[in-house]
Amino acid sequence: METSQTQIKKVLIANRGEIAVRVIRACRELGIATVAVYSDADRTSLHVRYADEAIHIGPPSPRESYLKIEKILDAAKRSGADAIHPGYGFLSEREDFAQAVLDDGLIFIGPPPDAIAKMGDKQVARETVKAVGVPVVPGTEPGLRDDELFAIAGQIGFPIMVKAAAGGGGKGMRAVQNAEELPDALAIARREAESAFGDGHVYLEKLIEGARHIEFQILADTHGNTIHLGERECSIQRRHQKLVEESPSPFVDPDLRRRMGEMAVRAAQACGYVNAGTIECLVDKDKNFYFLEMNTRLQVEHPVTELVTGLDLVKEQIRIARGRRMSPTENFLTPKVWAMECRINAEDPYNNFLPSVGTISTLLLPTGPGVRVDSGVYSGFTITPYYDSMIAKLICWGDDRPEAMLRMRRALEEFSIMGVKHNIPFHQNLLNSFSFIAGKFDNKFVEERFSMTTYEQPASEEDLETAAIAATLFTHRNRQLAMQVVKSNERDTSNWKWLSRWERVHR
Amino acid sequence: MRYVTIINDTRFEIDIEKDGTLKVNGEPREVDFLALDPSLYSILMNHRSYEVVIEEREGKYEVQMQGKLYTGQVLDERAQLLATRRGSLGAESGEVSIKAPMPGLIAAIPVTEGQEVKKGQTLVILESMKMQNELKTPRDGIVQRISVQPGQSVEQNKLLITLT
Repeated sequence: METSQTQIKKVLIANRGEIAVRVIRACRELGIATVAVYSDADRTSLHVRYADEAIHIGPPSPRESYLKIEKILDAAKRSGADAIHPGYGFLSEREDFAQAVLDDGLIFIGPPPDAIAKMGDKQVARETVKAVGVPVVPGTEPGLRDDELFAIAGQIGFPIMVKAAAGGGGKGMRAVQNAEELPDALAIARREAESAFGDGHVYLEKLIEGARHIEFQILADTHGNTIHLGERECSIQRRHQKLVEESPSPFVDPDLRRRMGEMAVRAAQACGYVNAGTIECLVDKDKNFYFLEMNTRLQVEHPVTELVTGLDLVKEQIRIARGRRMSPTENFLTPKVWAMECRINAEDPYNNFLPSVGTISTLLLPTGPGVRVDSGVYSGFTITPYYDSMIAKLICWGDDRPEAMLRMRRALEEFSIMGVKHNIPFHQNLLNSFSFIAGKFDNKFVEERFSMTTYEQPASEEDLETAAIAATLFTHRNRQLAMQVVKSNERDTSNWKWLSRWERVHR
Repeated sequence: MRYVTIINDTRFEIDIEKDGTLKVNGEPREVDFLALDPSLYSILMNHRSYEVVIEEREGKYEVQMQGKLYTGQVLDERAQLLATRRGSLGAESGEVSIKAPMPGLIAAIPVTEGQEVKKGQTLVILESMKMQNELKTPRDGIVQRISVQPGQSVEQNKLLITLT
């Protein structure tokens, strides 16, 4: 049966920051008009500047703006948008939002609401994929009371993970080593889940030690095609927040890729999936894999797959939402290049990754061969405490993993961000670590076996001196300029000569 | 003009004469220092080229060079004199004020007044940027005063806890 094709002329992006900019760029290339939405804190954000139209939707707090379904739908109505792209986070995995979009006669650029519902409810998701032979990690259903969870935790056995039922992005997630730690972990997880998703329900899952986090990109259209685009290695995480992703994974061989890929496609088909989605798995040392969850949206780390496959995933999402056939229809088994992404966060790696707020005073972005930067910030932009701390994604690619890593090192060196603390030094140290270079790491590597000091090369005497000279000349110059302005009568040359000199230094 | 410049805890004495000549710890240096914009500079020294970003924030200097950040101070003779009179800063004794590094909501305070704490122990959990951030003690001490309560919203730099 041929599904009817639909026109999309104007897309509202129900998101902010770099992902909103990413979607706007795809729309521009397709000749589709764009509508940004913004809170009081985002009037100066890049997505507002890049969009064709921008509509204010309320106060900075996400609960009063980016999470408010009626305000987003009202903005769509006012702007005459015919489709909504949810980005990631915020409302992207809320089936009530997807349903409300459809009820308003608009196109949701994402999966059908019932697929979101099935995969969003972790228990239903597990049952759904188990029914088609996909292995899952032992665990509980969400929504249990603490006393019930205490009892089941003993049966599953420690260590154990506490996870938010509505979760994602590491929010509301805690690892628990023994029964004594469980009450506190549950309390913190519920609090985080409540504040991030407005839903404090949590569930338990057995923690598989020495595991890698490997996920498969899925693409499915309304013409019955469901394929995978290979894996992404996302084991470099801290507090369950991914920091570095790459594709392919140094751990995955062609046979494992084929087997996991087939599993991922089956899992997606089991919930009637359409559009772009991701099957997240844990893979243990012996290459046994377990389904963790499906993210029913575009991922932060989608660019590495784009580089490896040569596809534009946002454009594919729009094609699929228009009811067209997606451009690839075969599973993707042979990576063209090696791609790696470093998430650049406003977090201080020398101080427990504490988030940093403030104005970016200088921003120099890396460029050149094999470098892509997806950023939501600019020089003069102020980072506020209302949203997450990711400010840019640096993606580098090369013919093989060593070339991708060398490019990443070079690009990190070119990257200058001043005014806020950021995690570029973390990435530089990671790329110096032998374990990372050798591809030998699991999802506990950063937390348990990595330190900022082990691989940090001490500054040479020469570099310290150059930095000292730079700082001193900077001070001296600013002082001289100030004095010249103040003591005009003490000038040794005529005013005209002085003026040209002054202009020269102020050029 | 004599400056004492401290970069990453290494001390340099730098003299800049009226004619522009420059000496580092008494040794002359040929430096071509060019401003590209208010914080971006190009330095040529012994044919070596450096691109540096330099910014000053509250008397501290940040120098970003070849992918590395250097921090320090530049003191002229008067500032040096003041610094020696005031005594060294950041000593291991005396009061330590724990301030909010960013605006947020106090999620929990797992310590009580009068409690002894060890370096690295969590004093306050501050919810900000959708994360629960644990603020830890910079050294061993005793919680002298807690100035906030759980559930309270705080501005950046708000005093949270005083340690002795």
